[in-house]
Amino acid sequence: MTRPRKLARWFVALVVLHCVVAGAGFFAPYDPDEQDRERPYLPPMRIHVMDAQHRLHLRPFFYPLRLREGSFDQYEQDTTSAVPLHFFIRGAAYRLLGFVPSRLHVFGASGARICLLGSDAYGRDQLSRILYGGQVSLLAGLLGAGITLFLGALIGMAAGYYGGWRDELLMRAAELFLALPWLYLLFALRAFLPLAVSPLEAFLLIVVVIGMVGWARPARLVRGVVLSVKERDFVRAARGFGASDLYLLRRHILPETASVLLTQAAILVPQFVLAEMTLSFLGLGVPEPMSSWGNLLASLQQYSVLVSYWWMYLPALAIVPFFLGYLGLASALQERTGAYKIDENSSWSPT
Amino acid sequence: MQPFLKVENLVKHYAAGRFAFSKDKFAALDGVSLSIPAKTSLALVGESGSGKSTLALCIACLEHPTSGSIWFEGIDVAALQKNQQRLLRPHIQLVFQDPASSLNPRWTALEIVTEPFFVQGRFSKQDRNDRACTLLDRVGLSRKMVSRRTGELSGGQKQRLAIARALALDAKLIILDEALSALDCSVQAQISNLLLELQSSLGLTYLFITHDFAMAAHFADQIAVMDHGRIVESGAAENILRSPIHEATRSLLAATPRVPETYGLSVES
Amino acid sequence: MRYFLRRTLHALFLLFGVSLLTFLFSALTPGSYFDEMRLNPQISRETVAALRAQFQLDRPLPIRYAHWLNAVAHGKLGFSFAYNSPVGPLLWVRARNTLLLTVTATLSAWLLALPLGVWSASRFGRAPDRILSWATATLLVVPDLVLALGLLILAVRTGWFPTGGLVSFGFETMSPLYKIRDLASHMALPVTALVLATLPMLVRHVRASVAEVLQAPFLRAAAGHGIPQGKLLYGYALRAAANPLISLFGFSVGTLLSGSLLVEVILSWPGLGPLLIEAILARDLYVVIGGVLLSMVFLVGGNLFADVLLYWADPRIRTAASAK
Repeated sequence: MTRPRKLARWFVALVVLHCVVAGAGFFAPYDPDEQDRERPYLPPMRIHVMDAQHRLHLRPFFYPLRLREGSFDQYEQDTTSAVPLHFFIRGAAYRLLGFVPSRLHVFGASGARICLLGSDAYGRDQLSRILYGGQVSLLAGLLGAGITLFLGALIGMAAGYYGGWRDELLMRAAELFLALPWLYLLFALRAFLPLAVSPLEAFLLIVVVIGMVGWARPARLVRGVVLSVKERDFVRAARGFGASDLYLLRRHILPETASVLLTQAAILVPQFVLAEMTLSFLGLGVPEPMSSWGNLLASLQQYSVLVSYWWMYLPALAIVPFFLGYLGLASALQERTGAYKIDENSSWSPT
Repeated sequence: MQPFLKVENLVKHYAAGRFAFSKDKFAALDGVSLSIPAKTSLALVGESGSGKSTLALCIACLEHPTSGSIWFEGIDVAALQKNQQRLLRPHIQLVFQDPASSLNPRWTALEIVTEPFFVQGRFSKQDRNDRACTLLDRVGLSRKMVSRRTGELSGGQKQRLAIARALALDAKLIILDEALSALDCSVQAQISNLLLELQSSLGLTYLFITHDFAMAAHFADQIAVMDHGRIVESGAAENILRSPIHEATRSLLAATPRVPETYGLSVES
Repeated sequence: MRYFLRRTLHALFLLFGVSLLTFLFSALTPGSYFDEMRLNPQISRETVAALRAQFQLDRPLPIRYAHWLNAVAHGKLGFSFAYNSPVGPLLWVRARNTLLLTVTATLSAWLLALPLGVWSASRFGRAPDRILSWATATLLVVPDLVLALGLLILAVRTGWFPTGGLVSFGFETMSPLYKIRDLASHMALPVTALVLATLPMLVRHVRASVAEVLQAPFLRAAAGHGIPQGKLLYGYALRAAANPLISLFGFSVGTLLSGSLLVEVILSWPGLGPLLIEAILARDLYVVIGGVLLSMVFLVGGNLFADVLLYWADPRIRTAASAK
C-alpha cells in the first residue's frame, strides 16, 4: 500500500475510535452513574436469538439475571422472561459532546438491564462506564500531549533560534528532565500536590502534571529542525528584506517543525493516556464517581475481585485498539519522513 | 563625490572552539577594503574559503562585522541600530548561488516574489499581486508561473525568480554570490545578459562574486581578488587580466578553463 | 581518557541537578508529613515540634540542602519519618529486591531478543519473519499495565504461581533447593511481565540493525568464502550491527531500578517501586529523594556504561577519540 494511503487508513481508524468514545452517550445503554445495588457484580450477559424452547426470535433478546438460591453473588439466567433488545431506543438523558441534549441510545431494553460487560460493586453498567471513562482518559492524553508539544515547541524554537547561552541553559535543563525517571517524576509531582480535590480539579491537575513532564524530547527535536532551517538561504533572504524574528519563526521555521510535532503527538498521546490510567489506578488520578479507564481498574487491587469478578479487567483492554491505532499512525508518519533511527525517539518506553 | 559603496578595513572573526567563550578565533575577513562607484560592477574573485561569502553577508547586513566600516551612500551601515538597518536593507540585496535553498520549496512563485512586500507590510493584496506580475515580466518569466512551486521550475527560471525577488523593493546594490555558478552554460549566458540589461535600465550596481575569471571578465568593470580574507589585488578589469601581479591572481587565472583571448584580451604568464 | 572525564563530570552534574530539583520540589510543595501528624490527636504538640526541630524543618532551604548534601557525602541518606529508620538500609534492601527482578528480566529479555532478532533478520520478509513481526507488534500494543494485570488474574484463577511477595512463609526452614524453587516461583510472574513488556522493542531493534548489516557487501564476500551461516550471522553480522544495540543495552541497564515500578506495585513485589509510592503518599521526604537519586545513579551510570562499552567495542570510536 502506498504511504499516503497507509497513513490515511490509520488516521481514519483512529478517528472512528475517537468518535465512538466521544459519542459515549449514544453508544452506551445507560448513564454511567446509574446504580443497581440489588444486583452488584453481574457477570457479562449474553444475547441470544434462540430461546430455551429452541424457538428462533427475530429480535435478539436476553434473559435477566437473578441470584441463585442460597448464594449471594452467583447469578443464573431467568429463562422464564425473555427481554427483547431494541435499537435506537430512548433512554437516559445525556448531552452529546457536552451541549446537544438527547435521549437516543444505539441499543437498550426496557424492563431489565442488560450489562454486556457486567457490572461493578454498585451495579453500574461496565460498558457505559468504559465508554464514558474513555472520554476522560483520552481527553487527558490529548490535552497533556498538547501542553507538552506546545511547551516543547516553544522551548525548542527559543533554544534553536537564539542560540548562545539561552540554548545551552535550555538544553541542559532538557537533559536533566530526560534523565529523570519519567514515572517517578509523574508520581512525585502529583503526590506532592494536594490530594483531596474535586474530580474536575484532579483531572486538570493531572493533565498539567503530565504535560509538564515530557517536554524535553520534543524540545530537542524541534531545536534540531530550527537549527537546520535557520541557516537556509531563504531565511537569510527574508531577513534581507527586514523580516523580524517573529515573522521568520512563524512563516518559515514553524511549518518545517510540523512533521516532527505530528510524529511526536502520535507517540505521546497513548503514553499520556497510559500515564493517566496508571495514576488513577493507584488512586492519584481521577477520583470516583467520575470514571476513567484507570480508576475502573482500581477495584482489581482487591483479592476478592481478582478471584471472582474477572470482567473487572475488561476496561484495561479498552486502550489496546487505541494503542494500535496510534502506533500504526506513528510508524506511518515516521516512514513518510524517512526517519527510522534506533534512538530514544522511536522507543515506546516512557523512560 | 562619495563612492556608492565603500568598505574599510572590515574584519570578521568567528569563534572556532567548542564553547561560546573559547579564545580560538578564525578570521574570515582580515581587513578588507574596496569601493564600488555607482552603476558599475565589481567582480570579486577568489577560491572557496577566501571569505567572499562572508563579505557578501556583512555588506548585506546579515552578519555583524567584528570591526571596520561599510559605507553605503555615505552612511555607515555597520554602525547602525537594528531598526535603522531595516530601512536600508531593501536597497542592498543578495542573490544566492543555489536557488533551491534560497527559495522556500513549499511556497509558490507568487508567494516568494511578494514576500518582500509582505514583510514590509506597506502594500495591499491587489497592489502586491500587480507588482509581482510586473517583476516577473521584467525578469522574463511568464505570468502563468505564479502558482508553480520551485520544484516545478528549471534552474534558470528559479534564478530569475530570485532576481525578481531581489528587485522587489527598489534595490540599488545587488550582490550576486556565485549566482550563475550552478547553472548550465547556455542558461548562464541568458541570465548574465538579463543582469546586464537590468543594470542599464534600472541603474543598478553589482557586486559579482565568482571563482571564474572568464565570468568576471564578461561582467565587470573592476576586479578585486581575494585570498585568505584579504583583497590582494584590485583594479580595472583589463589591467588585472592582462597583467596580474599577485600570485593568487595568477594561479586563479591559470585555472580558468576558458581562454581569455576569446574576450579579446591576452595574458602574459 | 579525557572523554571519560568529561562524561563523568557530565554525569555528576546531572546528579547534582536532579538532587537539587527533587529537594527543592518536595520542600516547596504544600503539605508535609508533619502537617498530617499534627492532625492526629494522639500525637502531642510537643512531640511534633521536637521532631520538626530534629529534622531541622524550620531552617531555611539552602541550609537544609547543604546539611543533606553533607550527609550524603558521608554516606547517610537521611531519615525516614514513616519507617523511623535511616533511609540508606531501607533503600538498600528494597533496591536489592528490585535488582534481583530486573537483572533477571533484562538478561532473559536480551538472551531471547538476540537470537530471535537475528533469526528474523536472516529470513527478512519471509513467513517466519512476518509472523514474528506480527507477534511483536501485538505485544507492543499492549501496555505494561494491561499485561501485568492480565498476568495477575491468570495467576489468581489458575493458582499456578504465588501472587505476591518475595518468598513464602517459612522460607528460612526450607532446604536450599526448595528455597530456590520458592524464590523462582515468586519471581516468575513479575519477570514474565517485564520480559513481555521489553522483548518486542528489543527484537525489533535487533532485527532492524542486523537486517541493515546483512545487505552490506562485506557480508556477501564473507559468505562467498564459505563461512558457515551461524558464524556469519553471529560473528560477523551481529558484531557489525552492535553499535545501536550497545547503546540500547546501556539504556536497559539504566532503567534497572526505575523501569519496574508498575509491575512491582501490581504484582506485589517488595521492591523500590512500592516503597517510593508509599513514601510519596506519606510525604516521606528523604526516602523519596534517596530513591529518586538512586534510580538516577543507575540511569546515568547506565549511559556511562553504554559509552564505555561502545568505546571498547567499536575501534572507530577509539581512533576518533584519540585523534582529537
